[in-house]
Amino acid sequence: MTVRLLGVGAAAPALRLAAADVGAAWGRSGRGQAAVCAPDEDMLTLGWDAATRAIAAAGIDPERVDALFWGTSRPPFAEGPSLAFLAAALGLSSAVGGALCAGSAHAGMEALAAGTDAIAAGSARLAVVVASDAVRPGPGTGFEGRCGAGAAAFVLGAEGGTAALGTRVSRTRPFLDRYRGDGEQDNRDLYDPRLFREEMFLPVVTEVVEALASFDVRAWSLPDPDGRLGATVAKRVGTHTPTSASVYAAIGDAGAATPLLGGALDMDAPGIVAIVGTGGGRTTGMLVHVDEPVPGAARVADALAEGRPVSYAEALRARGQLVPTGETIPMGVPPESAMFTRGADEMLGLLGGRCVDCGTISTPPSIHPHCINCGGPKLEPVEVARGGQVHTFVVNYTMPAPFVAPLPLAVLDMDDGARLMLQVVGDGSDVEIGRRVELVLRKYAHERGVPVYGFKARCRVGSTKDDAW
Amino acid sequence: MSWNKVAVVGAGLIKMGELFDQSYEQMAAGAFDAAVAAVDKGFEPRQVEAAFVATQRGTLWGQEGIGGNTIPTALGLTGIPCTRIENACPSGSDAFRVGAMAVASGVHDVVLVIGVEKMRDKSSEEGLLSRAAAGHPIFTRGETAPVLFAPFATRHMYEFGTTREMLASIAVKNHYNGARDPYAHFQNEITVDDVLKSVPVCHPLHLLDCCPQTDGAAATILVSADRAREFTDAPVFVAGFGVATDHPYLHEKDSFTEIKATRLAAERAYAMAGVEPAGIDCAEVHDCFTITEILDIEDLGFVEKGRGGIASLEGETALRGRIPVNTSGGLLAKGHPIGATGVAQLTECWWQLRGEAGERQVDIRNGYALQHNAGGRGSGVSVVNILTNRAS
Repeated sequence: MTVRLLGVGAAAPALRLAAADVGAAWGRSGRGQAAVCAPDEDMLTLGWDAATRAIAAAGIDPERVDALFWGTSRPPFAEGPSLAFLAAALGLSSAVGGALCAGSAHAGMEALAAGTDAIAAGSARLAVVVASDAVRPGPGTGFEGRCGAGAAAFVLGAEGGTAALGTRVSRTRPFLDRYRGDGEQDNRDLYDPRLFREEMFLPVVTEVVEALASFDVRAWSLPDPDGRLGATVAKRVGTHTPTSASVYAAIGDAGAATPLLGGALDMDAPGIVAIVGTGGGRTTGMLVHVDEPVPGAARVADALAEGRPVSYAEALRARGQLVPTGETIPMGVPPESAMFTRGADEMLGLLGGRCVDCGTISTPPSIHPHCINCGGPKLEPVEVARGGQVHTFVVNYTMPAPFVAPLPLAVLDMDDGARLMLQVVGDGSDVEIGRRVELVLRKYAHERGVPVYGFKARCRVGSTKDDAW
Repeated sequence: MSWNKVAVVGAGLIKMGELFDQSYEQMAAGAFDAAVAAVDKGFEPRQVEAAFVATQRGTLWGQEGIGGNTIPTALGLTGIPCTRIENACPSGSDAFRVGAMAVASGVHDVVLVIGVEKMRDKSSEEGLLSRAAAGHPIFTRGETAPVLFAPFATRHMYEFGTTREMLASIAVKNHYNGARDPYAHFQNEITVDDVLKSVPVCHPLHLLDCCPQTDGAAATILVSADRAREFTDAPVFVAGFGVATDHPYLHEKDSFTEIKATRLAAERAYAMAGVEPAGIDCAEVHDCFTITEILDIEDLGFVEKGRGGIASLEGETALRGRIPVNTSGGLLAKGHPIGATGVAQLTECWWQLRGEAGERQVDIRNGYALQHNAGGRGSGVSVVNILTNRAS
């Protein structure tokens, strides 16, 4: 059975760190920049962002998705409901299947392969593949300035779409490249860059790309862990500029997301796109046959472009590698407690209760047995609109750790009439009464070792057109 | 015709401030002694038949889980009935209302209402600021106290053209009054410029737009009206009161230019007391932030909706203005020891109605003083008490 590509989406985090700033701290030079997650972003929120865009681009109903495949080198729960949280936040059905692929930067290719196989086997008619990473390099390691973050998502189906998945080549060899040991937070440096280049990277990657080079490949997405190896591999397949080069330039090495981002970037024109990813002793290459521009592909470059420059210290703090002295103020409600069980769906799905009598939406349903407007007892669950405008707002400058000022909070009038009060992404400088906002998934806290997710508002920039953003 | 079934025959408070040298119990005893000493014809502590104690944040003083029973022992009155009232920032004003109802019901003739709060035993970060992490994990995350009122300032500015200078004029006025109140936490005058240039706390509110964290205690002695003359020849009567609730969360509010609970509570209190806003000689209102006083004076009917800012700037609520507000210095200068706040405001009203407010004394033409608190997350509760020196 053919496997069709219905749409793609991409996302990058808010911050950008110059490699020169990292180098300066360690007495080295540095080239380029990398994307870094703001404290409320991580591999799950990036994956949500990219998948939301891919689903919108493909024009499918999330409820109809049969399977979710998520590849990330580092799931938010080392052991826990990572895939379930992503599925709930995307509004997928509770009957959704799929798998979490993790443990190396190859995880994105594994998720793409698993999604392709599920459609081909007929076990899923519609699948969402997400590849996302927020690489956390050990401070002072040689690759630190190049380690980035980002996400890509593909919607695959048994029919429709403008492209098809094709030939796949894999190689597996048991060697150590970049890795983390059990219980370690930060990625270790390579043992020896020359050993990596000559014995681990080039032989295997070359084998895979040479196997694909017999096809008439128009665009290559190739791994480039150090800023030089990518060009070496490109030369071997006779291409000068792999599309992945602009991904590395914009956001650095986003681990599992990079190969899919490089591929998605060049899917707005017909021809064969080759996607090659490597990591954890594995390398996989896949071909995508593009007949007509893939929905969402034209927006990939824009999704990677924006970012606020930050200092090395701010980036370290955002990554959780620079922490304040002393104890932080604990969340009043422990994330393992009953309130989170009761509220899981309504927090991740942002549900409200619509009054059968007067139509008013009360949020969240679990604390509103009765309507806030008429007091009526009959409320039906609805997903609150994801767009709205600022009714009033504040910017909080005075909070104890772990909060970081400035923290904007806004009362929002949503497009369906619901009113919400949520944190606003950013420093508040773009918030004003009447401003259009969209809701985005963010990490509210990392509490007792558990990430806590919910929606925040983001001010819409530029276009006022109601599009997939 | 006012309600007037209950009389206040004694009232007093301790000097407000960061009372690191006093325990909760010592503060309570100090306030009780002051109220007893204020009874004109003398008062024996043992005459107290029952007590109602307002303490909002029991967790701030390390005696969690204790109800009213700390107070009788602290006052040497072990054995009397004592009940703790917790109703957010209006805890003190609501304890007063409950005490008045206990007397009016005929169950008790002499009741002590005492408010006590220890705000400063915990560090700022572990105290009030820690509420940034409390409550709903998403909908209230980052919600410190100023977040509950600053959205009203943003919207009031947007709809009515209220300015930061108008907000600042309230802090300036209340510090001016506080500088004339020996019980106030802050006894210094400030300028509009001081307020504008103070550090931002929660946009659009800056440091001097906010009340301090204050330790304090205040007490009032209530008796049935028909026994008032046993204790004083100048009794002050409870003319009326009103309490109202509104949705607790900000996102449930209809309006960010009024505190609905205050409007409803005021309507009820005015009806019970048989008095109009224009009949009030002075008022102690909830100015936890400058914007709150603007909303209060509008919602209590002292000025037209939207005119709170300009009226304050033009001095209508100053000590010698048309309707003096917060002659004690208010929460901004006198301080806001939460459970004690309402009782301390009532003490100021009692002094004003008896002509005992010294340098702060206002002209009592009609014989009515109003006291008000609002609070409870997004001002989910408001209490208004009206006192009078008129016997009927």
